[in-house]
Formats: sequence, structure tokens, C-alpha cells
Amino acid sequence: MDKILAKKDYSRWLEKLGSYRIFAPRKRDDVWNYEMVTAPDAERLEDVMTAVPAKGIVFPQREPFFEFAETDDGTRITEILPEGEPVVVFGVRPCEGRAVTLTDDVFGGEFEDHYYWKRRNATTLVGLSCGAPPSPNCFCLSVGGSPHSKEGLDLLLTDLGKTYYAEALTKKGEKLVLEGQKLFTAPGPEDRKAVDKIQAASRKKIRRELSRIENVPAKLRGMFDSPFWDDESMSCIRCGICTYLCPTCHCFDMADEVETSTPLLGKRVRTWDTCQFPDFTMHSSGHNPRPDKASRLRQRINHKFQYFVEVWQKYQCTGCGRCISLCPVGIDIIQVVEKVRDHGA
Amino acid sequence: MVNIDDLKTEAKRVLKGGNVKYIIGYGRASDTWKANPVFLRSPEDVDKLVWDPTCFHNLVRFLVDEKRRKAKEKPPDPRPVGIVAKGCDSRAIVVLLQEKFFERMDVFVLGVSCESTGMIDERKLAGKTAGKDVRRVAFGEDQKFVVETDAGTLEIAASEVLADRCLDCIANVPVISDHLLGDKTKRTVANPFRAVEKMESLSGDDRWSFWKDQLKKCIRCYACRSACPMCYCEECVVDTINFAVTAETSAEEKAQRIKWLEKSPVGSENVFYHLVRAIHLAGRCIDCGECERACPVNIPLRMLNKKLEKEAKELFGYDAGFDADQPALISCFRDGDPEDFIR
Repeated sequence: MDKILAKKDYSRWLEKLGSYRIFAPRKRDDVWNYEMVTAPDAERLEDVMTAVPAKGIVFPQREPFFEFAETDDGTRITEILPEGEPVVVFGVRPCEGRAVTLTDDVFGGEFEDHYYWKRRNATTLVGLSCGAPPSPNCFCLSVGGSPHSKEGLDLLLTDLGKTYYAEALTKKGEKLVLEGQKLFTAPGPEDRKAVDKIQAASRKKIRRELSRIENVPAKLRGMFDSPFWDDESMSCIRCGICTYLCPTCHCFDMADEVETSTPLLGKRVRTWDTCQFPDFTMHSSGHNPRPDKASRLRQRINHKFQYFVEVWQKYQCTGCGRCISLCPVGIDIIQVVEKVRDHGA
Repeated sequence: MVNIDDLKTEAKRVLKGGNVKYIIGYGRASDTWKANPVFLRSPEDVDKLVWDPTCFHNLVRFLVDEKRRKAKEKPPDPRPVGIVAKGCDSRAIVVLLQEKFFERMDVFVLGVSCESTGMIDERKLAGKTAGKDVRRVAFGEDQKFVVETDAGTLEIAASEVLADRCLDCIANVPVISDHLLGDKTKRTVANPFRAVEKMESLSGDDRWSFWKDQLKKCIRCYACRSACPMCYCEECVVDTINFAVTAETSAEEKAQRIKWLEKSPVGSENVFYHLVRAIHLAGRCIDCGECERACPVNIPLRMLNKKLEKEAKELFGYDAGFDADQPALISCFRDGDPEDFIR
């Protein structure tokens, strides 16, 4: 279902979505992030790359699983499920839509993570295709994506200047368009042509490229013990930026957060975790198989360009460039992978 | 102005002579406009060196890694490590010397003066170059920065895009060095505590709501800690890694392991983390501002440290990192020290 929405009607459309919690990119203290929209009437759709990706909306940094309590009748366990209230996220970049399809793989399949799916199924992702790369480090084309990829999205908007060209891609997306009622009109043939033109042009505007990486998974398999990782990780400071801000990183930790010890009361919670932290792989024996920054950088690259490829036959990187732009010391995943590609050649 | 060729010549000289193990400096990969830390091992490597207003990093942080690496070397290489240090960075070296983290002979300091400018603030620059792709930033004449973009070259007054820490800087010239480059005229700052004073003028409630709001943004990536040269604890309070478990360790003992704070990025835990860090930096922070620059969500972390810097200054007349021969503030007592808080 393809429709046209006048840009000036965007906020009116949001006003009609009262049954949803709405998230959209907002700038606060000079940083763009997805934030809850409280005044839809004042809203306009921002064409930006946020610092923190949209993944936190379906995979929150803290997710309580259950509450435990010691009572006179023994221990009481009460499951805490997300409410699953309908959420819509506006301005999602196509690389983030693709990223969600990867976390879908991880949290789906044989062992379905119902905490994840409760949120995921209630979330409608409204993408905004990239007429120009929203970050100088965008490289989606190199990892199988595109500036107007539809994967993972429910609705894709393309900016035509005064209007948005809206392509509903799923039932959830269609529902959102229907909520907008008469604000949406039928597109003319010239609109589709304009979309095609913008999409063709946008591909040429991407400056960064990670080419010829077909052999990288095999290369990585042979480089596990290479001193390459010591050299590449020299400037790493061991923070969690590259992974926490990655739309595809999904590793987590679980902990019992005790509120009171007598009587015992607390929650078991899941929180984001990262291979860059020292306790990530810490065994209770005291052994740590990823004890230094070289092995942790290797873990990050291997996960994205070898392990994930072996399990799912796709790269676990959608080329958003956040880990490059926001790394405090400029570690550049494109350059690291290119060096792997050319290693020993 | 610091002549990059002079820096390269000196770096080449010490590397050629085998006087240093390696040199930590600033370089740049071809695809980016920002400088990166580089590690120079041979005389040929010196061509990688750059010096421009994007050399923000406090490279002293890598001396902490070096100490750990050296501890594992058999036999240890006794040579010093060379390091390119700005004024603020040199103060970090002084603090580490005061704290006996390493010895003076362990480090060869290539001091670079920031002269009358300093390092840019990336977010301020983005406000000036909106929509344009920055390709290079260079020091220009008359306290201006020359910014090359995909849509032409701009000249921007340094004062408009300088990092706040540079505007408040009290050490534009390195305080310790083995080889010093650039103009040695010291700059004076009328009041380095302007932002703190403004905060102090607010009511307690307003301050609390400001910080609660700011710290709520924290995603606990620990970039502030990781970028800090003073955060060298063997085991940080946020990662419990040194709890040794044997076959005999009971479940109870494991369960009772001290956990100072939860991983959950919620208000109480975020506040706890940031206050622990701030307190640990009291009388030690040299205001390189790396914590604030590294923060991906732009929490004004410098202000917490600056407040404690102000306390140290007002109570003890102490400025961290100026004199390696003086004891560290926290480890000394002088007769004149205020003690009116003892009751």
C-alpha cells in the first residue's frame, strides 16, 4: 500500500495515534536520541542518526524477569512480563530496521524469548529512507543493506520535499496509515518516479565502503591467535560504546537485584552486557577466556563477521557507523575488517 | 606555532637511538578528520604524526596499559615510553608521579604547547558546519581554526568551537617535559570555575533535579572511566572480577560476594557510580575533560570533577598536577590544613 502524506500533516497524523506510545528522534544536550513524544502537535520528523539506536525499545537495557520474595509460605516467584502496549517508532533508519531482523533471529527460533517478542510484536517501526547518509561513517551498502532497505520495517517514508511517500510494508504499517485516514492520499506516477530517483541518487552519496569481504569469515577463523589483535587494540580503552550503541549487539547479563535481604525480596533482571567488559566472560573458577583488550576486540569482530555468519549466513553488522563515529579513540571497524581481509596477502 | 616537523625530528631521534621503547602520539587514518592515538615503534613511523585541534585524547591513559604490559615482560624492557603530551596531559603525568604509579625515568615527554588555543569540541564544531562533511581542521592565524569541508574551507574563531576544558585551561604549556615544542607563553584564565559557580548559585533542589535528569541519560558504557588516566584501579568497583572461586567455595559465599552496584542503568545506580568516580578524583583530576568528551550522551561530567577541584583549591590551596615533588593532596597533612569539620 503506497500513499502520500503532506509533511505539514505529519504532526496531525501523530495526534491520531493516541493509542500508541510514540518515539521519535529528539535532540537534547546536542545529542539525538529516540525519545517519547509528549506533544505530537509540535512534532516534525527529523532526518538524523541517533546516538543510541532504536534497539532499546524492543530490547531494553534493563528487563525484569520475575520478582522473588520470601514469605511465611515459602518462596514466591512472580513473573513480570512487559505489558506489550502498542509502540510506534518514527525515523528509524533502514540499517536499524535490518538490525532488528538480526535480533529477531537471536531471540526467536527454537528458544523464543517471550520478553523480547512481547515488545517486538507490539512495536511498529516507521523507517525514514536516507536521501543522504545521516552519518559520514554510513556503509550499509557494503554489508548487504541500502539507504532505503525495507527489511524489518513496517512502513517506509521517503522525503519528497513537501510530502512523504509512504510504503506500508506490513499489516502493522497499514494500520498506522489507516489511522491517518484522509491525511493520506493516493500517489501519482510522478511520485513513484521521484522516489526511484532519490533512491538511485542516495546510493551514490555514501562515502564509506567495506569491499571484497567475502573471504573475511574464513580469514578470521585462521587469525584467532594472530598478534594482529594486539596491534589493532593498542588504542582501545575498553569502554562499552561500540557495543552498547550497536543496533545489532544483543549480549546480556542476568542478575538478582536484592531490595531487602530479611525477608528476602528482589528481582531477577536482564541487562545489556558487552564483550568489552572484563567480567563479560569471567568464569566462576576465576578463569577468563577474554582477559585482555586484544581478545575483546577480536571477539567483537569475530562475532559480527565470523560467528554470526556461521550460524545465520549473514553479517551481524548493518553499516550504521555508530561504533566508528562514537569511539573515543577512533577505532574504525571498516579499517579493522579491511586489514583482516588483506592480512597475509 | 608547534612545527610538526620539529616533533617528527625529535621523535625520530629518540626512536633511532633506541632511547625509548615506543612513542605514543597522535596520527590520523586516511578516512577521518579526527586524530587517533598511534604507537610509533620505528623511525619511519614518525611520518604518521599529526598535530592539530583534534588531538583531544589524553594519551597518558595508555601509560596505565603500559605499566600492566611491562609487569608481564620477561625480562622487562627498562627503557622509557615516549609520549606526546599537551599541558593538561602533562599534569596527569605529574599526578601519576606524585602517586608513584611510575617513575620519572619511565616516561619521555614530548611536550606540545596549546599556545593561545586548544582542542575543538566536536559538538560545537558540528553546530558551525551544519550539514557539511568536515575533512580537516588545522590551527590557523589569529586564534582561528581552519576547517576544510566538502563544501569549501571555513575560518572559525577558536573561542567559538574550543572545548570548555580548553576555555578553562590553566596549563596551556606542559608543566613537565623532556623536549618542549611551541610557544611557552602561559595563558591566564580569569575564572576557571564559572560553570561550577553558576551551578552553586542554584538551590539544592534545583541542583538535585538537574543531576538526576543528567545521570538518567547514562548508559553505563564506562567510557568516562575508561578514558581517564587516573582510573587505574586494578579492579574497578563496577567490574567484580577478582573474586576467586575454588571447588570448596560454597554457594552462600558466592551469593554473598560484595556487589557494589547493579548493572541496571537506573537512577540510584547511575548516581552511585558517578559519585564514586568523582570522589575518587578529588585532588587528582587535572581537567583534561576526556570523560566528558568520551560520553556518548553528553553528560556534563567535568562539572562534578571541577567542583571537587574547586574544593581542593579553596580548602587546601591545591592545584593537582603541577609539582611532582609535592605529596599528593590526599596523602599529606599540613599544620595549616582546615579541620573545622572535625567535631
